[in-house]
Amino acid sequence: MISLPGLKHNTGKTLMTHAVLLTYTVIALFPILVIIVNAFKSRKAIFKDPLALPTLDSFSLEGFEQVLGRADFGLYFGNSMIVTLVSLFFVLLLGAMAAWALTEYKFRGNLFLAVLIAMGIMIPIRLGTVSILNLMASLDLVNTLTALVLVYIAQGLPLAVFILSEFIRQVPKELKEAARCDNVSEYKIFFTIILPLIRPAMATVAVFTMIPIWNDLWFPLILAPGESTQTITLGVQQFIGQYVTDWNAVLSSLTLAIVPVLVLYVIFSRQLIRGLTSGAVK
Amino acid sequence: MSQPSSIQRRFPWHILFFLAPGLLIYVTFSVYPLLDTLWLGLFQEDATGQRFFAGISNYQTLLLDAAWSEPFWNALWNNTKFFIIHMLVQNPIGLFLAALLSSPRLRLSNTYRTLIFMPTMLSVVIIGFVWQLLLSPIWGISEGFLYSIGLGQYFDAWLGKESSSLITLALISVWQFVGIPMMLIYAAMLSIPDDLIDASVVDGSNAWQTFWNIKLPLILPTIGMVSILTFVANFNAFELVYAVKGALAGPNFSSDIMGTLFYRTFFGFQLQSGSITMGAAVATLMFLIILVGVMLYLFVVQRRMKRFQL
Amino acid sequence: MADVKLSNIKKSYGNTPVLHGIDLDIKHGEFVVLVGASGCGKSTLLRLIAGLEDISSGELCIGEQQVNSLPPAQRGIAMVFQSYALYPHMTVFKNMSYGLKIAGKGKDFIDAKVREAARILHIDHLLERLPRELSGGQRQRVAIGRAIVRDPNVFLFDEPLSNLDAALRVKTRVEIGKLHQELGATIIYVTHDQVEAMTLGDKIVVMNQGRVEQCGTPLELYQHPATRFVGGFIGSPKMNFIDGKVAAIGSDHIEIQLSNGCRSRACVEAGDLKVGDSVTLGVRPEHIEERSDAGTLLSGDVSLVERLGEASFIYMTLGDGTEMVVRGSGESTVTTCERIEVSFAPHNAHVFDSNDRALRRLKPGNVHSTAQLAQLKAVGQETL
Repeated sequence: MISLPGLKHNTGKTLMTHAVLLTYTVIALFPILVIIVNAFKSRKAIFKDPLALPTLDSFSLEGFEQVLGRADFGLYFGNSMIVTLVSLFFVLLLGAMAAWALTEYKFRGNLFLAVLIAMGIMIPIRLGTVSILNLMASLDLVNTLTALVLVYIAQGLPLAVFILSEFIRQVPKELKEAARCDNVSEYKIFFTIILPLIRPAMATVAVFTMIPIWNDLWFPLILAPGESTQTITLGVQQFIGQYVTDWNAVLSSLTLAIVPVLVLYVIFSRQLIRGLTSGAVK
Repeated sequence: MSQPSSIQRRFPWHILFFLAPGLLIYVTFSVYPLLDTLWLGLFQEDATGQRFFAGISNYQTLLLDAAWSEPFWNALWNNTKFFIIHMLVQNPIGLFLAALLSSPRLRLSNTYRTLIFMPTMLSVVIIGFVWQLLLSPIWGISEGFLYSIGLGQYFDAWLGKESSSLITLALISVWQFVGIPMMLIYAAMLSIPDDLIDASVVDGSNAWQTFWNIKLPLILPTIGMVSILTFVANFNAFELVYAVKGALAGPNFSSDIMGTLFYRTFFGFQLQSGSITMGAAVATLMFLIILVGVMLYLFVVQRRMKRFQL
Repeated sequence: MADVKLSNIKKSYGNTPVLHGIDLDIKHGEFVVLVGASGCGKSTLLRLIAGLEDISSGELCIGEQQVNSLPPAQRGIAMVFQSYALYPHMTVFKNMSYGLKIAGKGKDFIDAKVREAARILHIDHLLERLPRELSGGQRQRVAIGRAIVRDPNVFLFDEPLSNLDAALRVKTRVEIGKLHQELGATIIYVTHDQVEAMTLGDKIVVMNQGRVEQCGTPLELYQHPATRFVGGFIGSPKMNFIDGKVAAIGSDHIEIQLSNGCRSRACVEAGDLKVGDSVTLGVRPEHIEERSDAGTLLSGDVSLVERLGEASFIYMTLGDGTEMVVRGSGESTVTTCERIEVSFAPHNAHVFDSNDRALRRLKPGNVHSTAQLAQLKAVGQETL
């Protein structure tokens, strides 16, 4: 190794690195691609040569036709959108407000509340499902999107408060003091000075909040399994359970669930990965 | 303390304004249900649905009565295996990929990162179905693939066999979530100053020695964090098994984990009717397991692994 | 023996050249300082010598051997980093012994080496501590100790003092100087601080934009800066520059019509300069005197006086707006807004042509050059 000229040695190593990473990238993507590709083929072609791309002969959209005819994917998609975005909005707003109150003001019970909220990061809200269902039943919220939104806000808040607190602590004291000297109200300080300053952290929180909500099966299954309130994840799960032998339909429904997420991911991957790798979650 | 004294004397309405809405939702839909579940686990219901206090008898049933304890220990042991497979496969692969990605001046590093992370973004349910199809002997795509690389005779209906279904499910989960340890460890590696790596090169260590002696000790806290995240996620897992094997976690409960056991106990299945109080008892035990894990991490692991000022 | 020889070393990142062909001869045991503003390529050059970066073209020899493609550990070098780069998870002892352990040396050998180095640097009592438990100065010693235990032929220092506070910096600087004498090894030292360069270096290499601007002993650089850049870089406060045109050429001097209307005589060789050519006159603050009869007379308004005790820096503005600094005596009674007259002797003037190259001075410096250098050092320490 040592006798090799430096340059050559490095090139070999770089090639190896690329080979390994490329292999793993293929492992990561191949299964998904196979599903998407086969969704566009006729039943016969799916079984005859699963790895082939659709040709003029084998191209078929029958799966999609069946899926869209039998299940209201547009509705499911809309439900998921509403639940995710509304939950996200409240997690960010209420999370930032709570983080501000806990880091900025000293009052009795401050530490207790901070610990209580921190517990929520580690203890999954799922374990309280039995009572949540009881509670939603008594509030008459079963089979509503509101039930999901409320639970997801409670689920997302702890991490949001934790990350945003870290950022709020970094806001220079002078900014707040200058505002207070000018007799600016505490509300105005928060909404006009603090909120805009912690926007980058909000992006990070948004990523961590959004993905689990969009992908969740547990709470939709338990709290809102009704036909009109199904989210896309639950919808696909139910659909496939029902038509498990109809390969075209199964492949097409999976593709319908995968593609929008992939498109969004490709568009926002830069911000998303920056959020993941930012120092916020040490 | 930082606000002017005149405000301090009045009731701090603004604190209430900022804190109350979030706290109200969090306490109502997270803290209260959790505590209520712990409490409910101490009750039983009679045939008429009347609830009465039963002390620890639910737990006695769950842990000692063979009809209940067998599934419970089975699920706990399966869940432990599920976790061990993640620790042995997912995290080392994540570490390895992160180490490769952080090689200096690597081209396309961002692209690899983005693509490898892709499956993590998708729903566990979707991933479960994807692999169910790919591994299905009816479709035969995996079999065909294995034959084409000369390993055809090893193909089996892995998901359908008692001996292999849990391992296969765990590996599917590993495949999906390897991006998370990869990302977190990658970020930790980027935060190691270049000077340290240079110093170790000048000291004569090769790439492997630098990794082993310098980088690895410095990212241990991150590996600890990844481990506890894996632990909590694994003992809370449900979707993958439910999507692929259903609530019965077959064949013959060989892929049953705590999440599916909880679901069945709560909602019932086949002949057995669901029980709110038994479900609460199972949830309480899951809570205790996760709590013990988290405490162990906070007070033993994290305390020992000093975070080094870089 | 480990001479270091650089022949036409070039380095570029992609299409961006950062070093444009560096030639340098460093004799065994020499203390060479690479100095220049940030971004001039001095640190890159050091990293090339260390082997942390690949050389794009040219030849680097350490001792008799061409080392272009040798890994750092086999070049017989040791490096002290600006950030010290101590391994945060290892004790001082382990930090210092890591290189020897990698090299597969025996336990007793390592132990003896580390203790010997620790003794030299007075850090024996710190060996079991972690870096974060040390003060900045102690970390700096450990970093040097880590270099010493490897018995290198060449020590490379990358701005080792820049993370220390002012008092400690002076103290450590003195110690590095002593250490050099004690070890007798070749040292290549990078800094942006000209005082460090002047006080430590046997030889100073002034770099600017990826080129060697001038290379020489501290006194050569001070007395005979080859370019306007070096003139301005070495010395504190900076050399004053006044634009002008050649008015007359004599046998042992030239006369310059300055932009403020004055006429000045400078004892330099005219070379192929012609009457009317644009030149820049350079004169150091410490060579300007607060009296009107030393030579060229300049008058202007005082804008600020900085009193250091043993000297006063008088900032003045000439009639045409040119800013100047004069090093006056500590007892100077000059006050702000006052109009004063100062003067300097023709043999203290530097002249740079329109390409910023210096004309050869005929009466080099002045007879008290050693005293002048001592004075320069004193000034430098105060301004730290």
